[in-house]
Amino acid sequence: MSLNADISASKGFSEEELAKYIIDSTQAVFSTMVMMDATGDYPLKEPINRFHCSITGMVGFAGTYSGVISVHCPVELAKKITSAMLGMECDEVNDDLNDAIGEIANMLGGGVKQVLSKGGLDVKLSTPTVISGEDYTVTSLSDLDCVVIPFKIEDDKFLVGLTLKKED
Amino acid sequence: MANILIVDDSSTMRKIISRSLRQAGLPVDEVFEAGDGIEGLSVIASGKSIDLILSDINMPNMDGLEFVKVVRGNGNNTPIVMITTEGGEEIIQQALDSGASDSIKKPFTPEQLQEKLGGLI
Repeated sequence: MSLNADISASKGFSEEELAKYIIDSTQAVFSTMVMMDATGDYPLKEPINRFHCSITGMVGFAGTYSGVISVHCPVELAKKITSAMLGMECDEVNDDLNDAIGEIANMLGGGVKQVLSKGGLDVKLSTPTVISGEDYTVTSLSDLDCVVIPFKIEDDKFLVGLTLKKED
Repeated sequence: MANILIVDDSSTMRKIISRSLRQAGLPVDEVFEAGDGIEGLSVIASGKSIDLILSDINMPNMDGLEFVKVVRGNGNNTPIVMITTEGGEEIIQQALDSGASDSIKKPFTPEQLQEKLGGLI
């Protein structure tokens, strides 16, 4: 897994710098909107694309850059996150939980968009998509252009992934 | 005390904004919610007294920029502050040109809400 060389060259930052930006953005989202401390643990030791009892929130980019930012989270952690965001207990996979994880992906997408597009008009963000299940696989068709960052919240773990391509 | 309309397609974000307004110590009375610009226009058209509108930009059906244009086109001068993940200078300028009063970037803190909204309500 590595960042596309075209992106590194065009934006003037390395994969490590982009990873640091994603870590900082994720920590800001969790500390202000979720009231939880998330610790980044970059780099990912080995690729992960199969998830068990998990939920994935995704937001797409289109325009000068295309790609997807995704948050992969075990359902048990997602329940804690949703409960913290809403200020009320969430103990099942429901619309509230889907919305909360989707909104986290949305905020992270906004943060990455700000790095890619200073003005904001040349890169469009999609509305969030959320999938969940007992056992599923998320596959990017361009795995080589992907940065994945593991995070910990106490003993729970989740991943934030970014796939990017610079359009001609 | 102010009545506030929150327009955001995320129900979670609407709840967070509503809670943060009170945590910020802002004088909030009733909070009305809408899931997109079209629903926001319906709330306004229902005749409810609204002192401040907080709107997302990136929403389905009718986005925040279009919503602001329609509200202003109807002659409504209620302050509208965009609360959005969109932090780009050009897109924020578009919102201001359309009639928005100000913008707040998500994620935000109650203190930032107080700073931006304290003078409006």
